Amino acid sequence: MHVILLHAGFFPPSFPSPLYPPMPMPRVHSVICILLLLACHTAGLSAADPQVDFENDIQPVLTRFGCNSGPCHGKARGQGGFQLSLLGFDSDMDFSSIVKEGRGRRVFAGVPDESLLLAKPTGKLAHGGGVRFPADSTEADMLRRWILQGMPRRIPDAPTLTGIRVTPDSVVMTPDATQQLQITAEYSDGSTRDVTSLASFQSSEAPLAGVNERGLITAGSLPGEAAVMGRFRSHIAVCNVLIPRQSPVAESEYAALPRNNFIDGHVWDKLQRLQILPSERCDDATFIRRATTDIIGRIPTQQEVDEFLADAAADRRSRLVDRLLQNPEYADFWANKWVDLLRPNPYRVGIKAVFNYDHWIRQSFHDRKPWDQFVRELVTARGSTFRNGAVTLFRDRREPEEITTLVSQLFVGVRLECARCHHHPFEIWGQEHFFSFAAYFAEVGRKGTGLSPPISGSEEFFFAGTRRPVLHPVTGEEMQPAPLFGEAPSTEGLEDIRESLATWLTSPDNHLFAQVMANRVWTDLMTRGLVEPVDDFRATNPPSNAALLEALGDHFRDSGYSIPELIRVIANSHVYQLSSVPNQTNEIDGRGHSRHYRHRQRAEVLLDSLSQLTGVPQKFAAMPPDTNSRQIWTHRTESLFLDTFGRPDPNQDPPCERTGDSTVVQSLHLMNSEELAGMVTNSEGFAREFADQKLTAEETAKALYRRVFSRDPDTEEMTLVTGLLQAEGADRRQVIEDLMWAMLNSAEFVIQN
Amino acid sequence: MSVYRRCDGVTRRGSIQLGLGGFLGTGLVAGLQAQADNPDGPSPAAKATSCILIWMDGGPTHFETFDPKPDAPAEYRGEFSDIETSVPGVGFSENMVRLAASLDDFAMIRSIRHDQGNHGAGNHYMMTGAPPRIPVGCGAFVSFHPSMGSVAARELGQDNGLPAYFSMPRMSRSGGPNFLGAQHAPFVVADDPNRSNFKVRDVALPRELSETRFTSRTELRSKVDRMLRIRNEAAGDPSLAFDEYYRQGHDLVTSVAAQQAFDIHGESDEMRDRYGRDSFGQRCLLARRLVEAGVPFITVYDGGWDHHSDLFGALKTRLPAWDNSVSTLIQDLKERGLLDSTLVIALGEFGRTPKISTWSGQSKAGRDHWANAMSVLFAGGGTPGGTVVGATDRKGFSAVDRVLSPENFVSTVYTKLGINPNKVLYTPQGRPTHLVSDPEPISELL
Repeated sequence: MHVILLHAGFFPPSFPSPLYPPMPMPRVHSVICILLLLACHTAGLSAADPQVDFENDIQPVLTRFGCNSGPCHGKARGQGGFQLSLLGFDSDMDFSSIVKEGRGRRVFAGVPDESLLLAKPTGKLAHGGGVRFPADSTEADMLRRWILQGMPRRIPDAPTLTGIRVTPDSVVMTPDATQQLQITAEYSDGSTRDVTSLASFQSSEAPLAGVNERGLITAGSLPGEAAVMGRFRSHIAVCNVLIPRQSPVAESEYAALPRNNFIDGHVWDKLQRLQILPSERCDDATFIRRATTDIIGRIPTQQEVDEFLADAAADRRSRLVDRLLQNPEYADFWANKWVDLLRPNPYRVGIKAVFNYDHWIRQSFHDRKPWDQFVRELVTARGSTFRNGAVTLFRDRREPEEITTLVSQLFVGVRLECARCHHHPFEIWGQEHFFSFAAYFAEVGRKGTGLSPPISGSEEFFFAGTRRPVLHPVTGEEMQPAPLFGEAPSTEGLEDIRESLATWLTSPDNHLFAQVMANRVWTDLMTRGLVEPVDDFRATNPPSNAALLEALGDHFRDSGYSIPELIRVIANSHVYQLSSVPNQTNEIDGRGHSRHYRHRQRAEVLLDSLSQLTGVPQKFAAMPPDTNSRQIWTHRTESLFLDTFGRPDPNQDPPCERTGDSTVVQSLHLMNSEELAGMVTNSEGFAREFADQKLTAEETAKALYRRVFSRDPDTEEMTLVTGLLQAEGADRRQVIEDLMWAMLNSAEFVIQN
Repeated sequence: MSVYRRCDGVTRRGSIQLGLGGFLGTGLVAGLQAQADNPDGPSPAAKATSCILIWMDGGPTHFETFDPKPDAPAEYRGEFSDIETSVPGVGFSENMVRLAASLDDFAMIRSIRHDQGNHGAGNHYMMTGAPPRIPVGCGAFVSFHPSMGSVAARELGQDNGLPAYFSMPRMSRSGGPNFLGAQHAPFVVADDPNRSNFKVRDVALPRELSETRFTSRTELRSKVDRMLRIRNEAAGDPSLAFDEYYRQGHDLVTSVAAQQAFDIHGESDEMRDRYGRDSFGQRCLLARRLVEAGVPFITVYDGGWDHHSDLFGALKTRLPAWDNSVSTLIQDLKERGLLDSTLVIALGEFGRTPKISTWSGQSKAGRDHWANAMSVLFAGGGTPGGTVVGATDRKGFSAVDRVLSPENFVSTVYTKLGINPNKVLYTPQGRPTHLVSDPEPISELL
């Protein structure tokens, strides 16, 4: 009888489900009594079983089976009218959604199995998400018991979860081997519990080490390193998996490797763990092309190649790097990368404001401005959009919420976007972090004319103004400025509270600040990042070489946040100078940097190189003659070539990352574009002038190869070219044009080796 | 009234009264359920393999095209009168002569409405099925979600060397791939097919280059391109993809079928005249040729529908030719047996204000932006001809009967193309995103 007493209280006087018309109360009770006894009997359960707690027992089931995931009930509008908080971060909301909403149909204490909460996932009723677990599973029993026990929100004195641990936390595996992980939850009362079956698992490198929903890791066939995450509630534990190559390499091989600077040691350490050996050092011709395209964004001129290949000094490579870093083109090229991330659409924000912003970014690179100073000036920018380009950031991102995500993502690698609306699904960030970080921008004042697209031409001023409170969207509480982690100086008494943020961001103790930029520059030079995506730093996305990332960040910080120094140290490392051609041990290495990873050249690099080698300058609307594509102030400037090879859609909000993929449209453009064909055959261009020069066939071949491929032709190529030039009736100009066309259409031109 | 008697004498309501409704209804629900159980499987309603989207940029008036209000006061009705269509009780505006006569071949939706009354936002909403995430201005070109064309290109692909998504003569606003990546951007054919020297950019050899010289260059290239290829796929050598795309590009240039698709000069003068000897008419003809070559999605961008002033003068000259080109396209596809596998859709970002207005400084009246009502022409791919879905009120202020959203519209297009609108895509940040947030297609058109 106590069963009925326990549950009677859960029925509102008029049970509102249309399936169960109102009945006189006593009858309801008797019906329920019978049904309940029946249900208890059939399920072999009784309410006297161990108490089930909503947070500790029920929510983990919902998370484990994906009920509250993004594509299902966890999305902002729910699914089929039933909405849960994403991954169960809001227990109150989930409880109310299950118990109080849905007109009582979601949980039906009378007959637990008639509850939608059970009937849907067990397949008893049609369910868009299919059968998630069988009716006779332990999970179904858990839900059944909880419903039977009266659906308590919280059991009195229920312990709270304090943390989880994974066992083992690191493992060395052989290819195709398996390893079971165990997740142990730790509670406030000191108790622990095996929650492996309720945890969810995710691998950072699924092809190397996959993990199934039960926590069983299966190593792939390739050597490598991976991190496997176990998640239970909001806690995450990581197991590091190492799968070394199976044919061991002698230790002496590693000891004998060159160490130009600290970078090499860290990479060799990683390669030794994997039992992989690096490729050979690349030759000088490959190096000058690689370093020149990476540092100043175009291929080297024929003269630059001539000089470098004639240089016999041992330090010729590092002197080349120094020369490149002194070249003004360095600034335009690196600014060209940062404008992708910062520069907004002039149709929205205004031509003059965006032009000034572009100039500010560009000039900062010309001035070799230390990175901390760049970021400080940007996030504390004040003044007129007509005088200080940096304030355009605030003209574009007008609300604290809009600027928060950009600052956190670009400068500390924390993607807070998710946390604006819900708890970050893979991380510790919640709405409280988002909005207290946003509060640093609560006092940005503005005056003047705001946005009025498509012209937005007016001047606007930004300054430290009066506070417009930033409110937590759920609690409505006014948020006080707080950094994402660590300590920031108090904002008390500051004229501009953004100064506190800038100090926190650029503090030598803020390792992420230095590491995020170091990782970006590393990725630009090395093709693949230590962390990828480059600005997504989190425990669940570990770096491929943590020691190296830390050392790079420290070096960058200790150099006074000098970007040229960061480029210099990377380019001078032996690792940067490795050949892309694999050896027997490293063909499959994708993240260890045991060889140079090739990539398709960036659109601007290709276009400016084409202009240079054909001798035909580009013409861009509203830019002075001889402007190159790295100098364009907006992606709105028309260029079929740049569109074809990929640049940010000018309509997309920055930050925009580019994809370096090849497409058929690119091939067609290289092959048939009237414009390119015209550049090769232009009567003012190189081919014509070169054809008129009195050179031998050998001299011609060498000059052409150095000009287009930055290297000398080998014997076979020399024979080919001289044969063509010396053939009977050969038209020298036509042969040169055809050769140039063929070379421009080759992988060797488009792809950095 | 949204239900009209079709030419076979059976109304939809009639079929429900006959007891078929329950059967049909169950079938639909069961079909959708099957689809939900197998989230990536095509819907049984999938009939089309290609789509021609005629994008009337600027927002065409619904009054002067497909939804006239002859009984409204003059300041709403406008200067044009209405004419009967082949479906009794349904009238079009007076310039839609040929389309009115052939309404049996297509359907009209008169009841889509949304809340984005400026060009930038309206374009985005109708082109992608997703409202813009932040307030967007009129002149804005924005992209927060992949366009229908890019999604079709990705989902339906293309294996005969032709790009899967064409846009002529330019990309429509918000017509890009967003997070799907540049390989799904439209292939833009900027040149005017009505010009005697028309050819498609980059697909034909440069003008001054002879075919012999191209062949010898290609041979030369195979000797010059000697960078070592790392064949093991695990090595991720980008030169392998480069080779693959180069091969495809070369196939396209040398493929007789592909070149024929672009060779509008291969059409008889009679056929070219039928479509109308203007840029728009010839683009419709080129779109049909691309459909024949197997291209899944073609946008014919048709700008200049933003008639804030001189609405009647401008439309008097424009509409007859437009009506002729679009009706010819539908007829021609039908005659070739392609209409069942080809969707033809014509719309813009919104309708226009019911009350005629004359802006200060203007002498001729026009209508302004109005997202509460718009008309959409929907043909082919098994769309029941003669169907008119929904209705606006007496003065054309608002869709009132069977009110539908841009999401319903875009879901219908996807469903017809065999793409599940409820599919979950993942952004590069790993964020799951539904292809369309409300995946309910317009059942009357299936």
